[in-house]
Amino acid sequence: MNEKVKERLLSVLCAVISIGLFLGFWWWGTQRTQLGKLLPDPGTVFTAMCGYITGTVGKCSLLMHMLSSLRRVLIGFVIGSLAGVSLGLLMGRYALARAVFNPLYRVIRPIPPIAWIPISIIWLGLGEQAKIFLIILAAFANTTLNAMTGARDVDPELINAARMLGAKEGQIFRTIVIPAAVPAIFAGLQVGISSSWASVVAAEMIKAENGLGWIIQAGMDNNNMSQILAGIIMIGVGGFALTCIMRTIEGVMCRWNKSGR
Amino acid sequence: MMKIINKKSKYTLISIASVVFVIAVWYVCINVLHLKAETVFPGPLTVVKTFVQKLYTKAPDGATLPVHLFSSLKVALLGYFLGVVFGVPVGIMMAWSKWVDRFVRPLFDLIRPVPGLAWIPMFILLFGIGIISKAAVIFLSTAVACIVNSYTGIRQTKEEHLWVGDVFGATNVQKLFRIAIPTALPMIFTGLRVAMGAAWMALVAAELLAASEGLGYMIQQGRYSSKPALVFVGMLMIGIVGLVLDTALHWLEKKVAKGMNAE
Repeated sequence: MNEKVKERLLSVLCAVISIGLFLGFWWWGTQRTQLGKLLPDPGTVFTAMCGYITGTVGKCSLLMHMLSSLRRVLIGFVIGSLAGVSLGLLMGRYALARAVFNPLYRVIRPIPPIAWIPISIIWLGLGEQAKIFLIILAAFANTTLNAMTGARDVDPELINAARMLGAKEGQIFRTIVIPAAVPAIFAGLQVGISSSWASVVAAEMIKAENGLGWIIQAGMDNNNMSQILAGIIMIGVGGFALTCIMRTIEGVMCRWNKSGR
Repeated sequence: MMKIINKKSKYTLISIASVVFVIAVWYVCINVLHLKAETVFPGPLTVVKTFVQKLYTKAPDGATLPVHLFSSLKVALLGYFLGVVFGVPVGIMMAWSKWVDRFVRPLFDLIRPVPGLAWIPMFILLFGIGIISKAAVIFLSTAVACIVNSYTGIRQTKEEHLWVGDVFGATNVQKLFRIAIPTALPMIFTGLRVAMGAAWMALVAAELLAASEGLGYMIQQGRYSSKPALVFVGMLMIGIVGLVLDTALHWLEKKVAKGMNAE
């Protein structure tokens, strides 16, 4: 026990030293070298960020921008992952569904969601719909594959046992295939949420009036490095929060499985 | 036996039928019923025609498809190789040495949640819109994926195997190269493939934002000149190249990590 506490203290100490060194080096670079012309020092970025949170960037404060990005991600992710998981489960369980949908899915999957941005703008305009469409795609592409693998790799002995005990196909699907596929589905959802987050940032960089992607893009247009860095930090915080939330949900849903831990 | 073959060919037929059906519906909706103008949603024939034309014409974006493709590949592979050369050893060292882990890990955890393409504006301001800023974005995306997977791979090394190494008097370096790295090889390859996907995606994003050639630039120009057929061609190209790169890595994995795929 004592050993554990010591190890913890040591790693905290090392973390403080290494982050301190990093910030110190950054500060030294901006003060003493040519880098200072391009990059603000950490203190400036920090004050600027506090200013953005309490005050406004563009039309609203930094936190509101983050919320509007999050809102887009959540709407798109829920729709996309529901569609992806259902299609994936069907394709995993029924060879007929796989024969019909898999070739089409295989064409769509390798295209990164970001490459859809120009066509989504042509189809849906510059508004909210185009962005949500992208996130639906990002979530869909990642969850379908995992749900399919999950549903296909169900232990056949379980299914045969159920069939022997007289379970109908609907019962097998609901009570065996879906629960058994849950860990694989969550692996897909994890990838899907980070991919959605990256896509929303990209979509907002191309065209938006608010959101974190807009923040960094506008920072680039105004040559405002503090704004870009503040935006990047918030994007990191948002991405981290989303993964943590997904992991917590996974932990609750997959408590029976070792991948849920 | 006959029945299995029949069943298989039946499903292949269904697959072919489904693709043909979708293309037919696409053709009927656009070219027969004119539900959408071709300037919004091109018909299948237009897409094929545009693809063939684009192989040798430069309009409207100043380069042919092979030139765009080559320029994208050049940037992507440059950034990718730098990222792999940096990321894999760092991941291995972080997993192998407690001290490296303690110091590098906190910094890495700060960078990791930021998607690679969020760095694009910053790198464009720092390095301009040339090849360096794009390569830097791809480098970061690649390195993060490589570090995560190499780290996990080395950590999967069984302690018993290391004990065996100890018993036979292996040095630390020998244990690393003879036991840990071979164990981690499948995971490292997974990392290489994930990184390739991330690199390709970051490149497209960078080219959409600021570039003068490349596939991302081409589809952006297709939008500006409202030629959606060109956008379609570009998207399919991006998808196909991504798939080819992934298949190549998969093939390499099978060659190099032969017999190591056991979980």
